[in-house]
Amino acid sequence: MADIKGYDMPDELYYHEEHSWARIEENRVVVGMNDMFQKEAGDIVFVDLPDEGDDVEQGEVCGKIQSRKWIGKLCAPVSGEIIELNEELEDDTGLINQDPYGKGWILIIEPSDLEGELGNLMHGQDALAPFVDQEIQRTEEERAKA
Amino acid sequence: MGAWRLFKNTGDHISTALGLSIDDTLPLSLSAHGSPPILHLYIFKPSAIVGKYQDIEAALRLDRCRDRGVEYNRRSTGGGTVIMGPKVVALGLGIDIDQPGMRGGIRGIFETLSTVLMQALEDLGVEAAFVPKNDLVVEGKKIAGLSAALEAEKAILFHASLLVDFDIPLMLDIMNQPPLKMSDKGYNCFSQRMTTITEQLGHDIEMETVFRAIEVSFCNTFGSSLEIDEPDTWEDRHMREFTQRRYNNPEWIFSHKHPRSHMGSGMLKTPGGLLEIYLSLAGNTIERIMITGDFFSTTRDINLLESSLKWTSSTQQKIEEHLSEVWSDDMIYGLDVPTLTEAILRAKENALNPLQKAV
Repeated sequence: MADIKGYDMPDELYYHEEHSWARIEENRVVVGMNDMFQKEAGDIVFVDLPDEGDDVEQGEVCGKIQSRKWIGKLCAPVSGEIIELNEELEDDTGLINQDPYGKGWILIIEPSDLEGELGNLMHGQDALAPFVDQEIQRTEEERAKA
Repeated sequence: MGAWRLFKNTGDHISTALGLSIDDTLPLSLSAHGSPPILHLYIFKPSAIVGKYQDIEAALRLDRCRDRGVEYNRRSTGGGTVIMGPKVVALGLGIDIDQPGMRGGIRGIFETLSTVLMQALEDLGVEAAFVPKNDLVVEGKKIAGLSAALEAEKAILFHASLLVDFDIPLMLDIMNQPPLKMSDKGYNCFSQRMTTITEQLGHDIEMETVFRAIEVSFCNTFGSSLEIDEPDTWEDRHMREFTQRRYNNPEWIFSHKHPRSHMGSGMLKTPGGLLEIYLSLAGNTIERIMITGDFFSTTRDINLLESSLKWTSSTQQKIEEHLSEVWSDDMIYGLDVPTLTEAILRAKENALNPLQKAV
Protein backbone atom coordinates (compact mmCIF):
# COMPACT_ATOMS: atom_id res chain seq x y z
CA MET A 1 0.00 0.00 0.00
CA ALA A 2 1.21 3.51 -0.77
CA ASP A 3 -0.26 6.62 0.75
CA ILE A 4 0.18 9.68 -1.45
CA LYS A 5 -1.18 12.86 0.10
CA GLY A 6 -3.91 10.93 1.88
CA TYR A 7 -4.86 8.78 -1.10
CA ASP A 8 -4.28 5.04 -1.11
CA MET A 9 -2.49 4.23 -4.40
CA PRO A 10 -1.09 0.68 -4.20
CA ASP A 11 2.37 0.29 -5.75
CA GLU A 12 1.63 -2.86 -7.69
CA LEU A 13 -1.13 -1.29 -9.83
CA TYR A 14 -0.96 0.64 -13.09
CA TYR A 15 -2.96 3.87 -13.33
CA HIS A 16 -4.64 5.69 -16.22
CA GLU A 17 -4.77 9.50 -15.98
CA GLU A 18 -8.59 9.34 -15.96
CA HIS A 19 -8.36 7.53 -12.59
CA SER A 20 -8.93 3.93 -13.62
CA TRP A 21 -6.46 1.31 -12.37
CA ALA A 22 -5.25 -1.99 -13.79
CA ARG A 23 -4.04 -5.06 -11.92
CA ILE A 24 -2.31 -7.74 -13.98
CA GLU A 25 -3.35 -11.28 -13.06
CA GLU A 26 -1.59 -13.71 -15.40
CA ASN A 27 -3.24 -13.18 -18.80
CA ARG A 28 -6.04 -10.89 -17.66
CA VAL A 29 -6.34 -7.35 -16.32
CA VAL A 30 -8.67 -6.41 -13.48
CA VAL A 31 -9.96 -2.82 -13.71
CA GLY A 32 -11.45 -0.38 -11.22
CA MET A 33 -11.43 3.28 -10.15
CA ASN A 34 -8.77 4.63 -7.80
CA ASP A 35 -9.10 5.96 -4.27
CA MET A 36 -8.64 9.56 -5.38
CA PHE A 37 -11.65 9.27 -7.68
CA GLN A 38 -13.92 7.63 -5.11
CA LYS A 39 -13.03 10.18 -2.41
CA GLU A 40 -13.58 13.08 -4.78
CA ALA A 41 -16.77 11.67 -6.33
CA GLY A 42 -18.50 10.65 -3.10
CA ASP A 43 -21.09 7.90 -2.87
CA ILE A 44 -21.45 6.06 -6.17
CA VAL A 45 -25.09 5.82 -7.30
CA PHE A 46 -24.89 3.79 -10.50
CA VAL A 47 -22.37 2.14 -12.81
CA ASP A 48 -23.32 1.84 -16.49
CA LEU A 49 -21.20 -0.98 -17.83
CA PRO A 50 -20.49 -2.36 -21.31
CA ASP A 51 -21.34 -5.93 -22.27
CA GLU A 52 -19.10 -8.93 -21.86
CA GLY A 53 -17.47 -9.66 -25.19
CA ASP A 54 -17.13 -5.99 -26.14
CA ASP A 55 -13.74 -4.90 -27.44
CA VAL A 56 -12.20 -1.72 -26.04
CA GLU A 57 -9.17 0.39 -26.93
CA GLN A 58 -6.78 1.83 -24.36
CA GLY A 59 -8.22 5.14 -23.12
CA GLU A 60 -11.67 4.48 -24.63
CA VAL A 61 -14.69 5.29 -22.48
CA CYS A 62 -16.13 1.88 -21.65
CA GLY A 63 -18.52 2.83 -18.86
CA LYS A 64 -20.16 5.69 -17.00
CA ILE A 65 -20.27 6.20 -13.25
CA GLN A 66 -22.82 8.40 -11.48
CA SER A 67 -22.05 9.91 -8.10
CA ARG A 68 -24.50 12.42 -6.70
CA LYS A 69 -25.50 14.48 -9.77
CA TRP A 70 -22.26 13.96 -11.67
CA ILE A 71 -21.70 11.37 -14.39
CA GLY A 72 -18.05 10.50 -14.93
CA LYS A 73 -16.20 8.18 -17.28
CA LEU A 74 -14.59 4.79 -16.87
CA CYS A 75 -11.67 4.70 -19.33
CA ALA A 76 -10.18 1.36 -20.30
CA PRO A 77 -6.56 1.31 -19.06
CA VAL A 78 -5.64 -1.31 -21.67
CA SER A 79 -7.03 -2.58 -24.97
CA GLY A 80 -8.69 -5.97 -25.26
CA GLU A 81 -11.92 -7.88 -24.78
CA ILE A 82 -14.11 -7.44 -21.71
CA ILE A 83 -14.47 -10.93 -20.32
CA GLU A 84 -16.12 -10.36 -16.94
CA LEU A 85 -18.17 -7.73 -15.10
CA ASN A 86 -18.50 -7.38 -11.34
CA GLU A 87 -22.14 -8.37 -10.89
CA GLU A 88 -22.09 -7.48 -7.18
CA LEU A 89 -22.07 -3.81 -8.21
CA GLU A 90 -25.64 -4.23 -9.48
CA ASP A 91 -26.80 -4.54 -5.88
CA ASP A 92 -24.21 -2.42 -4.13
CA THR A 93 -22.29 0.30 -5.96
CA GLY A 94 -20.99 1.36 -2.54
CA LEU A 95 -18.34 -1.35 -2.91
CA ILE A 96 -16.38 1.09 -5.11
CA ASN A 97 -16.27 3.50 -2.17
CA GLN A 98 -15.68 0.93 0.54
CA ASP A 99 -13.06 -1.21 -1.18
CA PRO A 100 -11.94 0.35 -4.50
CA TYR A 101 -9.09 -2.13 -5.07
CA GLY A 102 -10.85 -5.21 -3.74
CA LYS A 103 -14.59 -5.93 -3.84
CA GLY A 104 -15.12 -2.70 -5.78
CA TRP A 105 -13.38 -3.93 -8.93
CA ILE A 106 -15.47 -3.17 -12.01
CA LEU A 107 -14.49 -5.38 -14.95
CA ILE A 108 -11.85 -7.71 -16.33
CA ILE A 109 -10.16 -7.31 -19.73
CA GLU A 110 -8.29 -9.94 -21.72
CA PRO A 111 -5.54 -7.66 -23.04
CA SER A 112 -4.52 -7.58 -26.69
CA ASP A 113 -1.25 -5.63 -26.38
CA LEU A 114 -0.30 -5.50 -22.73
CA GLU A 115 3.43 -5.12 -23.19
CA GLY A 116 3.03 -2.34 -25.70
CA GLU A 117 0.53 -0.39 -23.61
CA LEU A 118 1.79 -0.67 -20.01
CA GLY A 119 4.32 2.07 -20.67
CA ASN A 120 1.45 4.51 -21.25
CA LEU A 121 0.20 4.03 -17.69
CA MET A 122 1.54 5.45 -14.41
CA HIS A 123 3.24 2.96 -12.12
CA GLY A 124 5.07 3.43 -8.83
CA GLN A 125 5.37 6.39 -6.49
CA ASP A 126 7.78 8.33 -8.71
CA ALA A 127 5.16 8.53 -11.44
CA LEU A 128 2.11 8.84 -9.22
CA ALA A 129 3.25 11.48 -6.73
CA PRO A 130 3.58 14.26 -9.35
CA PHE A 131 0.18 13.28 -10.82
CA VAL A 132 -1.57 13.46 -7.44
CA ASP A 133 0.27 16.69 -6.60
CA GLN A 134 -0.82 18.23 -9.87
CA GLU A 135 -4.48 17.32 -9.33
CA ILE A 136 -4.45 18.73 -5.80
CA GLN A 137 -2.53 21.85 -6.77
CA ARG A 138 -4.96 22.78 -9.54
CA THR A 139 -7.88 22.62 -7.14
CA GLU A 140 -6.08 24.70 -4.53
CA GLU A 141 -5.00 27.34 -7.05
CA GLU A 142 -8.49 27.86 -8.34
CA ARG A 143 -9.90 27.97 -4.80
CA ALA A 144 -7.33 30.62 -3.87
CA LYS A 145 -8.34 32.74 -6.88
CA ALA A 146 -12.01 32.63 -5.93
CA MET B 1 -9.77 36.11 -23.12
CA GLY B 2 -11.70 35.00 -26.22
CA ALA B 3 -15.42 35.31 -26.65
CA TRP B 4 -17.75 32.49 -25.66
CA ARG B 5 -20.78 31.65 -27.75
CA LEU B 6 -24.31 32.25 -26.48
CA PHE B 7 -27.25 30.24 -27.83
CA LYS B 8 -30.38 31.94 -26.58
CA ASN B 9 -33.99 30.83 -27.04
CA THR B 10 -36.07 33.10 -24.91
CA GLY B 11 -38.99 33.77 -27.18
CA ASP B 12 -40.31 30.36 -28.13
CA HIS B 13 -40.71 27.69 -25.47
CA ILE B 14 -38.91 24.72 -26.95
CA SER B 15 -39.50 20.98 -26.85
CA THR B 16 -37.45 18.67 -24.62
CA ALA B 17 -36.09 16.93 -27.73
CA LEU B 18 -34.77 20.15 -29.22
CA GLY B 19 -33.43 21.67 -25.98
CA LEU B 20 -31.66 18.52 -24.83
CA SER B 21 -30.25 17.80 -28.31
CA ILE B 22 -28.71 21.26 -28.46
CA ASP B 23 -27.23 20.73 -24.97
CA ASP B 24 -25.68 17.38 -25.88
CA THR B 25 -24.03 18.99 -28.89
CA LEU B 26 -22.29 21.63 -26.74
CA PRO B 27 -19.46 19.53 -25.21
CA LEU B 28 -19.08 17.64 -28.48
CA SER B 29 -18.57 20.90 -30.33
CA LEU B 30 -15.80 21.87 -27.89
CA SER B 31 -13.92 18.59 -28.15
CA ALA B 32 -14.41 17.75 -31.83
CA HIS B 33 -15.23 21.01 -33.57
CA GLY B 34 -12.89 23.53 -31.94
CA SER B 35 -15.64 25.65 -30.43
CA PRO B 36 -15.04 27.94 -27.44
CA PRO B 37 -17.35 27.37 -24.43
CA ILE B 38 -21.04 27.64 -25.30
CA LEU B 39 -23.77 28.86 -22.95
CA HIS B 40 -27.32 27.86 -23.87
CA LEU B 41 -30.14 29.75 -22.14
CA TYR B 42 -33.69 28.78 -22.93
CA ILE B 43 -37.21 27.97 -21.77
CA PHE B 44 -38.83 24.56 -22.12
CA LYS B 45 -42.44 23.82 -22.88
CA PRO B 46 -44.10 22.40 -19.74
CA SER B 47 -42.13 19.21 -19.20
CA ALA B 48 -40.76 16.70 -16.74
CA ILE B 49 -37.17 15.58 -17.29
CA VAL B 50 -35.57 12.72 -15.40
CA GLY B 51 -31.86 12.16 -14.79
CA LYS B 52 -29.89 9.82 -17.05
CA TYR B 53 -30.05 6.89 -14.65
CA GLN B 54 -33.52 7.38 -13.19
CA ASP B 55 -36.46 5.01 -13.57
CA ILE B 56 -38.86 7.29 -15.48
CA GLU B 57 -41.87 5.08 -14.80
CA ALA B 58 -41.19 5.15 -11.06
CA ALA B 59 -40.46 8.87 -11.01
CA LEU B 60 -43.41 10.14 -13.05
CA ARG B 61 -47.13 9.56 -13.42
CA LEU B 62 -46.90 9.33 -17.17
CA ASP B 63 -50.69 9.14 -17.63
CA ARG B 64 -51.08 12.46 -15.83
CA CYS B 65 -48.27 13.99 -17.91
CA ARG B 66 -50.07 12.94 -21.09
CA ASP B 67 -53.47 14.16 -19.83
CA ARG B 68 -52.04 17.55 -18.94
CA GLY B 69 -49.95 17.96 -22.08
CA VAL B 70 -46.68 17.83 -20.16
CA GLU B 71 -43.76 16.41 -22.16
CA TYR B 72 -41.43 13.92 -20.51
CA ASN B 73 -37.93 12.93 -21.45
CA ARG B 74 -34.54 11.80 -20.11
CA ARG B 75 -31.49 14.06 -20.05
CA SER B 76 -27.87 12.95 -20.33
CA THR B 77 -26.72 14.40 -16.99
CA GLY B 78 -27.18 12.95 -13.52
CA GLY B 79 -29.52 13.79 -10.65
CA GLY B 80 -33.27 13.62 -10.21
CA THR B 81 -36.46 14.82 -11.86
CA VAL B 82 -36.91 18.47 -12.77
CA ILE B 83 -40.19 20.09 -13.76
CA MET B 84 -39.62 22.75 -16.39
CA GLY B 85 -41.97 25.38 -17.76
CA PRO B 86 -42.48 29.00 -18.76
CA LYS B 87 -41.04 30.43 -15.54
CA VAL B 88 -38.06 28.13 -15.11
CA VAL B 89 -34.68 29.06 -16.60
CA ALA B 90 -33.05 26.17 -18.45
CA LEU B 91 -29.28 26.41 -18.71
CA GLY B 92 -26.93 24.17 -20.66
CA LEU B 93 -23.19 24.82 -20.69
CA GLY B 94 -20.46 23.12 -22.68
CA ILE B 95 -17.12 23.89 -21.07
CA ASP B 96 -13.71 22.30 -20.68
CA ILE B 97 -12.78 21.15 -17.17
CA ASP B 98 -9.43 22.91 -17.64
CA GLN B 99 -11.05 26.24 -18.53
CA PRO B 100 -9.21 29.02 -16.65
CA GLY B 101 -11.35 30.06 -13.71
CA MET B 102 -12.83 26.59 -13.21
CA ARG B 103 -11.88 24.94 -9.92
CA GLY B 104 -10.55 21.42 -10.15
CA GLY B 105 -12.36 18.22 -9.28
CA ILE B 106 -16.05 17.42 -9.26
CA ARG B 107 -16.76 19.52 -6.19
CA GLY B 108 -14.74 22.38 -7.65
CA ILE B 109 -16.75 22.37 -10.87
CA PHE B 110 -20.06 22.51 -9.01
CA GLU B 111 -18.71 25.21 -6.69
CA THR B 112 -17.54 27.35 -9.60
CA LEU B 113 -20.76 27.12 -11.58
CA SER B 114 -22.89 27.59 -8.46
CA THR B 115 -20.97 30.75 -7.73
CA VAL B 116 -21.94 32.09 -11.16
CA LEU B 117 -25.63 31.52 -10.43
CA MET B 118 -25.32 32.86 -6.86
CA GLN B 119 -23.77 36.05 -8.22
CA ALA B 120 -26.56 36.41 -10.76
CA LEU B 121 -29.15 35.92 -8.02
CA GLU B 122 -27.40 38.47 -5.82
CA ASP B 123 -27.54 41.01 -8.64
CA LEU B 124 -31.28 40.39 -8.80
CA GLY B 125 -31.58 40.93 -5.03
CA VAL B 126 -31.69 37.31 -3.85
CA GLU B 127 -29.06 35.97 -1.40
CA ALA B 128 -28.47 32.32 -2.23
CA ALA B 129 -25.99 29.81 -0.86
CA PHE B 130 -24.47 26.60 -2.20
CA VAL B 131 -25.07 23.50 -0.14
CA PRO B 132 -23.06 20.37 -0.76
CA LYS B 133 -24.79 17.80 -2.98
CA ASN B 134 -25.21 20.40 -5.65
CA ASP B 135 -28.20 22.55 -4.75
CA LEU B 136 -28.54 26.30 -4.50
CA VAL B 137 -30.72 27.40 -1.60
CA VAL B 138 -32.22 30.55 -0.16
CA GLU B 139 -32.89 30.39 3.58
CA GLY B 140 -32.56 26.65 3.32
CA LYS B 141 -35.07 26.31 0.46
CA LYS B 142 -33.98 25.03 -2.95
CA ILE B 143 -34.07 27.61 -5.75
CA ALA B 144 -31.93 25.87 -8.39
CA GLY B 145 -30.81 22.36 -9.25
CA LEU B 146 -27.50 21.49 -10.88
CA SER B 147 -26.19 18.40 -12.64
CA ALA B 148 -23.33 17.53 -14.96
CA ALA B 149 -21.66 14.86 -17.04
CA LEU B 150 -18.11 14.53 -18.28
CA GLU B 151 -18.55 13.97 -22.00
CA ALA B 152 -16.09 13.96 -24.89
CA GLU B 153 -12.41 14.37 -23.92
CA LYS B 154 -12.30 16.99 -21.14
CA ALA B 155 -15.53 18.75 -22.10
CA ILE B 156 -18.42 18.65 -19.67
CA LEU B 157 -22.11 19.29 -20.09
CA PHE B 158 -23.49 21.25 -17.15
CA HIS B 159 -27.23 21.62 -16.61
CA ALA B 160 -29.05 23.97 -14.27
CA SER B 161 -32.68 24.82 -13.68
CA LEU B 162 -33.46 28.05 -11.87
CA LEU B 163 -36.92 28.70 -10.47
CA VAL B 164 -38.33 32.10 -11.34
CA ASP B 165 -41.80 30.86 -10.44
CA PHE B 166 -43.12 27.35 -9.97
CA ASP B 167 -46.34 25.34 -10.11
CA ILE B 168 -46.22 23.01 -7.08
CA PRO B 169 -49.71 21.50 -7.62
CA LEU B 170 -48.65 20.49 -11.15
CA MET B 171 -45.51 18.86 -9.78
CA LEU B 172 -47.51 16.94 -7.18
CA ASP B 173 -49.91 15.76 -9.86
CA ILE B 174 -47.33 14.45 -12.34
CA MET B 175 -44.62 13.09 -10.04
CA ASN B 176 -44.90 9.93 -8.03
CA GLN B 177 -44.44 10.76 -4.36
CA PRO B 178 -43.72 8.69 -1.29
CA PRO B 179 -47.06 7.89 0.43
CA LEU B 180 -47.86 11.09 2.31
CA LYS B 181 -50.41 10.82 5.09
CA MET B 182 -52.62 13.79 4.32
CA SER B 183 -53.62 15.19 0.98
CA ASP B 184 -52.54 18.75 1.74
CA LYS B 185 -49.34 17.68 3.41
CA GLY B 186 -47.68 17.23 0.07
CA TYR B 187 -48.15 20.88 -0.84
CA ASN B 188 -46.89 22.09 2.53
CA CYS B 189 -43.95 19.73 2.43
CA PHE B 190 -42.77 21.05 -0.90
CA SER B 191 -43.58 24.72 -0.32
CA GLN B 192 -41.32 24.57 2.74
CA ARG B 193 -38.51 23.06 0.70
CA MET B 194 -38.57 25.15 -2.47
CA THR B 195 -38.57 28.83 -3.24
CA THR B 196 -38.52 31.01 -6.35
CA ILE B 197 -37.07 34.34 -7.38
CA THR B 198 -40.60 35.75 -7.53
CA GLU B 199 -41.33 34.63 -3.96
CA GLN B 200 -38.07 36.06 -2.69
CA LEU B 201 -38.53 39.41 -4.39
CA GLY B 202 -42.22 39.67 -3.64
CA HIS B 203 -43.02 40.63 -7.24
CA ASP B 204 -42.86 39.29 -10.79
CA ILE B 205 -39.67 39.54 -12.79
CA GLU B 206 -39.13 39.30 -16.55
CA MET B 207 -37.35 36.15 -17.71
CA GLU B 208 -35.08 38.29 -19.89
CA THR B 209 -33.88 40.14 -16.76
CA VAL B 210 -32.88 36.84 -15.17
CA PHE B 211 -31.15 35.65 -18.37
CA ARG B 212 -29.21 38.90 -18.58
CA ALA B 213 -28.03 38.60 -14.96
CA ILE B 214 -26.75 35.09 -15.67
CA GLU B 215 -24.91 36.24 -18.80
CA VAL B 216 -23.20 39.08 -16.91
CA SER B 217 -22.22 36.76 -14.09
CA PHE B 218 -20.59 34.26 -16.49
CA CYS B 219 -18.61 37.07 -18.10
CA ASN B 220 -17.44 38.39 -14.73
CA THR B 221 -16.50 34.97 -13.35
CA PHE B 222 -14.55 33.75 -16.35
CA GLY B 223 -13.32 37.10 -17.68
CA SER B 224 -14.90 36.39 -21.04
CA SER B 225 -17.46 37.97 -23.30
CA LEU B 226 -20.52 36.32 -24.83
CA GLU B 227 -21.47 36.62 -28.46
CA ILE B 228 -24.94 35.65 -29.62
CA ASP B 229 -24.67 32.78 -32.07
CA GLU B 230 -26.56 29.83 -33.51
CA PRO B 231 -25.58 26.22 -34.14
CA ASP B 232 -23.62 25.91 -37.40
CA THR B 233 -24.12 23.20 -40.02
CA TRP B 234 -21.84 20.69 -38.25
CA GLU B 235 -23.61 21.26 -34.93
CA ASP B 236 -27.02 21.15 -36.56
CA ARG B 237 -26.23 17.71 -37.99
CA HIS B 238 -25.20 16.39 -34.58
CA MET B 239 -28.28 17.90 -32.95
CA ARG B 240 -30.50 16.04 -35.39
CA GLU B 241 -28.59 12.82 -34.63
CA PHE B 242 -29.12 13.29 -30.87
CA THR B 243 -32.81 13.99 -31.46
CA GLN B 244 -33.22 10.80 -33.46
CA ARG B 245 -30.95 8.56 -31.37
CA ARG B 246 -32.03 9.83 -27.95
CA TYR B 247 -34.81 12.30 -27.39
CA ASN B 248 -37.37 11.00 -29.88
CA ASN B 249 -36.37 7.40 -29.21
CA PRO B 250 -38.50 5.39 -26.72
CA GLU B 251 -35.50 3.13 -26.00
CA TRP B 252 -33.63 6.14 -24.60
CA ILE B 253 -36.62 7.71 -22.84
CA PHE B 254 -37.69 4.44 -21.19
CA SER B 255 -34.16 3.12 -20.68
CA HIS B 256 -33.83 0.34 -18.12
CA LYS B 257 -30.26 1.27 -17.26
CA HIS B 258 -30.97 2.52 -13.76
CA PRO B 259 -30.92 1.28 -10.19
CA ARG B 260 -34.15 -0.17 -8.80
CA SER B 261 -36.49 2.44 -7.31
CA HIS B 262 -38.29 2.10 -3.99
CA MET B 263 -40.47 4.50 -2.02
CA GLY B 264 -41.61 4.21 1.56
CA SER B 265 -42.22 5.92 4.86
CA GLY B 266 -41.52 5.23 8.50
CA MET B 267 -42.59 6.67 11.84
CA LEU B 268 -40.83 6.72 15.19
CA LYS B 269 -42.05 8.05 18.53
CA THR B 270 -39.19 9.87 20.21
CA PRO B 271 -38.75 12.07 23.32
CA GLY B 272 -38.64 15.03 20.91
CA GLY B 273 -41.94 14.14 19.23
CA LEU B 274 -43.22 11.96 16.42
CA LEU B 275 -40.78 11.60 13.51
CA GLU B 276 -42.10 10.80 10.04
CA ILE B 277 -39.68 9.99 7.25
CA TYR B 278 -40.56 9.79 3.55
CA LEU B 279 -37.94 8.20 1.38
CA SER B 280 -37.22 7.50 -2.30
CA LEU B 281 -34.37 5.10 -2.95
CA ALA B 282 -32.41 4.57 -6.17
CA GLY B 283 -30.82 1.20 -5.51
CA ASN B 284 -29.05 1.68 -2.21
CA THR B 285 -28.86 5.47 -2.62
CA ILE B 286 -31.17 8.05 -1.05
CA GLU B 287 -32.65 9.98 -3.96
CA ARG B 288 -35.16 12.05 -1.98
CA ILE B 289 -35.97 12.31 1.70
CA MET B 290 -38.46 14.33 3.72
CA ILE B 291 -38.19 14.60 7.49
CA THR B 292 -41.49 15.70 9.04
CA GLY B 293 -43.40 15.26 12.30
CA ASP B 294 -44.48 17.22 15.37
CA PHE B 295 -41.02 18.00 16.72
CA PHE B 296 -39.47 21.47 17.15
CA SER B 297 -37.00 22.57 14.49
CA THR B 298 -36.59 25.12 11.70
CA THR B 299 -37.16 24.79 7.95
CA ARG B 300 -33.53 25.70 7.37
CA ASP B 301 -32.21 22.97 9.69
CA ILE B 302 -34.52 20.28 8.34
CA ASN B 303 -33.59 21.15 4.76
CA LEU B 304 -29.89 21.07 5.69
CA LEU B 305 -30.27 17.60 7.18
CA GLU B 306 -32.21 16.36 4.16
CA SER B 307 -29.72 17.87 1.77
CA SER B 308 -26.81 16.17 3.55
CA LEU B 309 -28.43 12.81 2.83
CA LYS B 310 -29.56 13.26 -0.79
CA TRP B 311 -27.61 11.15 -3.29
CA THR B 312 -25.70 9.34 -0.56
CA SER B 313 -25.65 5.71 0.50
CA SER B 314 -28.50 4.53 2.75
CA THR B 315 -26.32 2.34 4.98
CA GLN B 316 -26.50 3.08 8.71
CA GLN B 317 -22.85 4.07 8.80
CA LYS B 318 -23.16 6.55 5.94
CA ILE B 319 -26.43 8.04 7.23
CA GLU B 320 -24.85 8.67 10.63
CA GLU B 321 -21.70 9.99 9.02
CA HIS B 322 -23.50 12.48 6.78
CA LEU B 323 -25.92 13.64 9.48
CA SER B 324 -23.03 14.14 11.92
CA GLU B 325 -21.24 16.38 9.40
CA VAL B 326 -24.04 18.98 9.62
CA TRP B 327 -25.52 18.20 13.05
CA SER B 328 -25.52 20.78 15.83
CA ASP B 329 -27.15 20.63 19.26
CA ASP B 330 -30.93 20.85 19.26
CA MET B 331 -31.28 21.01 15.47
CA ILE B 332 -34.31 18.92 16.24
CA TYR B 333 -35.16 19.55 19.89
CA GLY B 334 -34.79 16.42 22.03
CA LEU B 335 -33.36 14.28 19.21
CA ASP B 336 -29.92 12.96 18.36
CA VAL B 337 -28.25 11.47 15.25
CA PRO B 338 -28.74 7.79 16.23
CA THR B 339 -32.49 8.31 16.78
CA LEU B 340 -32.93 10.14 13.49
CA THR B 341 -30.91 7.42 11.76
CA GLU B 342 -33.17 4.76 13.28
CA ALA B 343 -36.25 6.48 11.86
CA ILE B 344 -34.65 6.73 8.40
CA LEU B 345 -33.68 3.05 8.47
CA ARG B 346 -37.27 2.20 9.40
CA ALA B 347 -38.50 4.08 6.30
CA LYS B 348 -35.87 2.28 4.24
CA GLU B 349 -37.02 -1.09 5.56
CA ASN B 350 -40.63 -0.25 4.65
CA ALA B 351 -39.57 0.95 1.20
CA LEU B 352 -37.69 -2.27 0.48
CA ASN B 353 -40.36 -4.55 2.02
CA PRO B 354 -43.69 -2.76 1.56
CA LEU B 355 -45.74 -5.82 2.48
CA GLN B 356 -44.05 -6.28 5.87
CA LYS B 357 -44.51 -2.73 7.02
CA ALA B 358 -42.99 -2.04 10.41
CA VAL B 359 -44.35 1.20 11.86
